[in-house]
Amino acid sequence: MQEATFLILTALAQGSQHGYGIITDVKDISGGRVRLRAGTLYTALERLRADALIAVDREEIVETRLRRYYRLTPKGAELLAAEAARLQANAAAALSRLKLTGGTI
Amino acid sequence: MTDSAGLERGYRRLLAWYPRPFRREREEEILTVLMASARDGQRRPRPIEAVDVIKSALWMRLRSGWPARPGQGWTDALAMFSLAGPLFLLAIDLLEVAWPYRMSNIGLFHAYGLPTGGHRQIGGLTLLGQRGFQIALGCHLLIAVLVLLGLRRIALAAIAGTAIYWFAGRYWIPAPLQQFSVSFYLLGAAALIASPGPRRGRHLVNWGHGVVLLMVALAIQLSTLRYIASTPLVRLASGPDTSAYPWASIALVVAAAGLVVMLKMNRYFPLLVLALCYPYLLLVAVPQTSSSNPVWHPTLVHLALRYLPLLLLAAGAVLMAVTPRRPRATASPA
Repeated sequence: MQEATFLILTALAQGSQHGYGIITDVKDISGGRVRLRAGTLYTALERLRADALIAVDREEIVETRLRRYYRLTPKGAELLAAEAARLQANAAAALSRLKLTGGTI
Repeated sequence: MTDSAGLERGYRRLLAWYPRPFRREREEEILTVLMASARDGQRRPRPIEAVDVIKSALWMRLRSGWPARPGQGWTDALAMFSLAGPLFLLAIDLLEVAWPYRMSNIGLFHAYGLPTGGHRQIGGLTLLGQRGFQIALGCHLLIAVLVLLGLRRIALAAIAGTAIYWFAGRYWIPAPLQQFSVSFYLLGAAALIASPGPRRGRHLVNWGHGVVLLMVALAIQLSTLRYIASTPLVRLASGPDTSAYPWASIALVVAAAGLVVMLKMNRYFPLLVLALCYPYLLLVAVPQTSSSNPVWHPTLVHLALRYLPLLLLAAGAVLMAVTPRRPRATASPA
């Protein structure tokens, strides 16, 4: 799974969000390292929607502008959990080996 | 915000790169995100934003079947083929005209008393001067225009008329490409009969299909040039070195297949294109010898091998279209 995809799914894990909300949340989660732009975001959202990992939750009009909210589907949550577990296992393995070889953490 | 109307206009111009159906549904939403992400006082889209939107829009155009990936079934594959098949055939004809086999020594042709018409090339613009080819090209062009206009029945009649012309010997196309004729009459007609037709195809076919078909057409032309070069007499007339052409041709086909997988295209559509190319592939796969040439001396077995699978495929498609389908079983409440 690409990092941007992982971060978008993570941003939606706590509840539904609109496009700009996802961008700011992804920036926060990644500590400012990943800054999604609108085009990249909507390409990713389309792909995730086509794979049924996210779905449209609701729409709002705020100051004459349309906001569409997206939510994680059960399939998306399952995939995110599996990916998070995989990353955690890899990270744990890396950290434990670094300790064994006396590397700094 | 400074000149937000100007900024909005700039963003809308960028969003015009997206496919129309996508834009209809998403333009306002993406615009909201773009406007919210804009810096204070920004008056026009920044280059980095423009690149990002255009990249995303091109990807969306190349992706098969937006929105919600329709057109993954057999019927939609036929609808796509009913539109793309005639255009593909026309592309093959035009490539034959645009990319001839140029000979450097035609003296031996004359020594054997063979006509060259004074031309040093096989294919190319000289084809346009030949009446049989003019008719063939005209017929293919007409069918392509009719499917583009979505005139299914008239296109079907044009295919039938072209087949009659071909059968009567009024229609001529260079030998290797002749192999596409009968396969196209069968599959093109079946696609027009058995599918919702080219109007539906227009909604499903996108740039991605165009790129794939163009790559396959180029591969065919490369392999045709190699085929021409390997015929005994042309070999004597020495032309360009075509030894690398088969590899280039295979590389193009592999790249096209990769694109089909990457863009998640309807899986039946490439199968139909492969079926269209099948008699041609059989021909070019047979080593060229002067005595056993399946083009000039086809036996009944040759013909059956070449056209029976296509006939069965076309008949199967039509049969599936006319057979009423059983409604899907739905779960009954407990």
